[in-house]
Amino acid sequence: MTAATCIEIKNLTKTFDNGKTLAVDQLSLTIAKGQTVGLIGADGAGKTTLLRLVDGLLLPDSGYVSVCGLDPVKDKQMLASKTGYMPQKFGLYEDLTVRENLEFYAQLKNIDPDFSQMLAFAGLSNFQDRPAGKLSGGMKQKLGLICALAGNPELILLDEPSVGVDPLSRRELLKMVKQAKGGKATVLWSTAYMDEAHGFDIAVVIDRGRIIYCGKPEDLAPDSRQFEEKVIELMGGYKPKESPVAENFVMPPVKGEYTVEALDLVKCYGHFHAVKNNSFRIRKGEIFGLLGPNGAGKSTSFKMMCGLAKPTSGTARIMGTDIVKNAAAARSHLGYMAQKFSLYPNLSVRQNLEFFAGAYGLVGQQAKEAVARMNKIFDFSRYLDGNAGNLPLGYKQRLSLACAIMHNPPVLFLDEPTSGVDVMTRREFWNHIISLARKGVTVLVTTHFMDEAEFCDRVSLFYRGQTIATGTPEELKRQAAAQTMEEAFVNIILQQEQNP
Amino acid sequence: MIKCFSRLWALINKEFLTILRDTKSRIIIIAPPLIQLALFANILTMETKNATLIIIDNSQTLESRELVAGIENSRWFAKIIRSDNLQQAQRALESEKVQGILVIRQDFSRKLKKGMTADIQLILDGRTPTTAIGLNDYITQIAGRFSQKFTPRTGACVSTLTRSWFNPNVVYQWYLVISLIVILALVITLMLTSLSVARERELGTFEQLIVSPYTAFEILIGKTVPPLFIALILQAAMTAAAVFCFDIPLTGPFVLFILASFIALLSFVGVGLFISSVCDNQQQAILGAFAFMMPAILLSGFVSPIEDMPLFLQYLTYANPIRFFIKIGNSLFLKDIGLADIWPELMPLLVISFATLGFAALTFKRNLE
Repeated sequence: MTAATCIEIKNLTKTFDNGKTLAVDQLSLTIAKGQTVGLIGADGAGKTTLLRLVDGLLLPDSGYVSVCGLDPVKDKQMLASKTGYMPQKFGLYEDLTVRENLEFYAQLKNIDPDFSQMLAFAGLSNFQDRPAGKLSGGMKQKLGLICALAGNPELILLDEPSVGVDPLSRRELLKMVKQAKGGKATVLWSTAYMDEAHGFDIAVVIDRGRIIYCGKPEDLAPDSRQFEEKVIELMGGYKPKESPVAENFVMPPVKGEYTVEALDLVKCYGHFHAVKNNSFRIRKGEIFGLLGPNGAGKSTSFKMMCGLAKPTSGTARIMGTDIVKNAAAARSHLGYMAQKFSLYPNLSVRQNLEFFAGAYGLVGQQAKEAVARMNKIFDFSRYLDGNAGNLPLGYKQRLSLACAIMHNPPVLFLDEPTSGVDVMTRREFWNHIISLARKGVTVLVTTHFMDEAEFCDRVSLFYRGQTIATGTPEELKRQAAAQTMEEAFVNIILQQEQNP
Repeated sequence: MIKCFSRLWALINKEFLTILRDTKSRIIIIAPPLIQLALFANILTMETKNATLIIIDNSQTLESRELVAGIENSRWFAKIIRSDNLQQAQRALESEKVQGILVIRQDFSRKLKKGMTADIQLILDGRTPTTAIGLNDYITQIAGRFSQKFTPRTGACVSTLTRSWFNPNVVYQWYLVISLIVILALVITLMLTSLSVARERELGTFEQLIVSPYTAFEILIGKTVPPLFIALILQAAMTAAAVFCFDIPLTGPFVLFILASFIALLSFVGVGLFISSVCDNQQQAILGAFAFMMPAILLSGFVSPIEDMPLFLQYLTYANPIRFFIKIGNSLFLKDIGLADIWPELMPLLVISFATLGFAALTFKRNLE
C-alpha cells in the first residue's frame, strides 16, 4: 500500500445464510486517492455488500481490506471521522425538520452543526423548517448527502444516491460530491444510471460478487449509450425478442380515437396548486411519457388519473369512461403499478398473483392459466412460495408489473416502474412494455431515466404543476437544440426558470 | 354474479392469509385469549378464600366457644388464631398478617341467655374491600346459623355489626369468566381489525385495492368477514372452556347466544375498522385501539356498576358495545331467556355496528373519489 492509495482490497469474500449465499467472491480492488469510482452491477451483484465491507459495517469472511491505511473493522472509530457513508435508504427522521435532522446528525458525528453553506449549495436554505418527510425525493437525497458529507470526509461511500431522482437534482448531487473536500475526496458511488457512471474516473462492473471490468469508462466506450451496451454485453448480453406478455392479448373495442384523456386536471391543497392544469390525450397503442423534476406534480396527476385523488376540477377518461363519475367501471380497464412496491409482503409470490387474478375477476382455470403465464414470463419459479417482501428489488418490480398486467388491461399506468432496477432488468421491462403497446395497449409511464424517455412515442414535460412542452422525443430535442433527451430536459426546464 | 362472488372470495381469502399465514401470527392470535382466560379467571377471584382471622374471645363460655368452633369448622378460612391481646391483633391487621379480628364481648353468653341481642365486633381491613366484604359475609352467615339454635329456645339472636360500607354482593367466578370472555373477544377483534386498513395504508397496498375494480362496500365486506369469523371461533372456544372447565351452566338457548355474539362481534369489528380507517399508520392504529379499549372496559359495568357512575358517564356507556354484550352474556348464561328479553341490548349493538362500519366505508369512499 502506497500513500496514494485510498482503498486496497485483496481476495475479499463475504457470504450470507451460513455460506449459502455468496455476496462477494475473492474480490480484489485498488482505488487511488481522489478518484471518483462508479460501481455498476445487476441487482444482488454485491455492490451494497462491498460498500458496507469497506465502511466496516460487515465482517469479511476472509481477505484483506485497508481503507485510508486503516483496518475498517479494528479501527472503526478512527475511520468513522474519515468516511461518509450514505446507505440506499438514508435514515432521515421524517417528523423532524431539515435543520433538526442535521443538528442531530452533527451531534452523532460530533462535528460543528453549521450546515448553512451546504444547505445553500443544495438549494435547501428555504426548506430548513420543513419536516424531512414532506420533502420531494430529490430533496431528501440531497439532505442525506449533506449528512454523509458532513465533517469533510476523505472517503465518500454512496449507495445508489440517485434512485428516483430527476436529472436536474442528479446533476446537483454530482456537483455536491465533486466539490467535497475541495475536489480531493475519494468517492465510491454505486449507480444504475449508465450516463452517470460514464462520467466517473473509473468504472467497476461487478457480477455475482466478482469484478468483471475495472478501468476508465472511456476505454470501454466513447459515449454513455455505447457504454450501456458494453456493460450489458459484459453482464451476459441481452437479446431482445418479442415479449410473451402480449401473446394472447385481445384489445377490446374502443369508442373514439383516444383511450386515455386528461381534461383540464387541477388539484389544489389549500392555496397550493399541486397541479395547475394538465391536459393530454393518448391514442390506442401509444406509449406516453410523463417527465418532470421531483415535486412537479406528476404523481398527483397520476393519482387523479386512476381515481386515487379527487381532482379539484377537471376530469379524466379511461376508454371513454369518466373516472370521477364512474370510478369502478373506469378502473376495470386499468392496470396500475405504483411507484413504491405495493404488494403484500407477507404473502407469497403465488398468493399475490392469485389475489390479483381474483380481484380482477379471473375465475378457476382462467386464473390458474394467468398465474402460470406470469410465472413463466417473469421467471418466478425460484421465488414462488417465498414471501414477496423478501424478493430482490428487481423481482419485486417484476411482480408488481406482473400483477398489473395479468388481467390483460387495455390501459396501463406505470409510475416509475424501473426505479432502482438494474440496467438489464430495465431492458427487459421496456421490451414487455413495447410489445404490449404494439398489440394496442395504451401506456402512461413516468420515469427519471431520460434514455427510457426515448422509447416513448410522445412525451410531456411537466414542471411546477403544468405542462411546459409536449411532443415526440425528436421534436423536444429539436426544440431544445439538444443531442440527448437528458440535455433537452435540462435545457427546457432552465429556459422555463429564466422566463417564467 | 359468479364473477362478483369470486372477486369477493379472492379478497376474503387474502385477508385470511395475511392474518393466518405464518405460524407465529397464528399462535399470537389463538393462544393469548385462551391463556388469559385461564389465568385471569383463576387470579382475578372476587371471592375471599385463605384468609386469616384472629378471634379474641373475652367471654370464654360454652356459647362463645361454640361460635368459635363454628367458624373454625367453616373451611372458608386458612387459619384461625386465638388471642387475648387486642393491641397485638391490631398490629397484625396493620401489617396485613391477618385480614380480620373478631371480638366476642364478656357479656356474650349472659345476654344470649337473657334473650337479648349479643353484639360481636368484626374489625376488617378496609384497604382490601373485596376481602373485607367476603369476611363480613361469612361471619354473618355463621352467626346467623348460630343464632337459629337459640331462637326457639330463648327467642334471642346474634347480630353482627361491621363497618364495611360496601354492599355485600355475592360475586361468583361465573360472572367474572363471562365478562372476561366478552372483554377478551373485544381485545382479539380490535387487534385483528384496527391494524388491517392502517397496515395496508402504510404498505401502499390500499391504493392498489382502490385502483382495482372493488367497490367500497366490497372492500368493507372483505375486511369484515375474516376477523368476524376468527373472533367468533375463538369466542365459541372460550365459551366451551367456560362450560367445561369452569362448570358454568349455559342455561339460555345456544343458538341465541351465537346470534348475540355475532351481532356483538360485528359491532367490535366496526369499532376496530373505524379506528383503522381514520389512522395513517399502524402505530396510530394500535394507540387508537388502546385508547378505546381501556375506557370501554372501565365503562362496561364490569369493574364498577354503571348506576354508580356520574350521570354523563352513564350516558356515555350507551355508546359502549361491551356494556351490552356483558349484560347479554350474563343473562343468557344465568337465566333461561329468549330473544325478546335481550332485544333491548341487541338493538344498540346493531346501531353501533351500522354506524361504525358505515363510517369506515365512508373513509374508503373518500379515498375512492
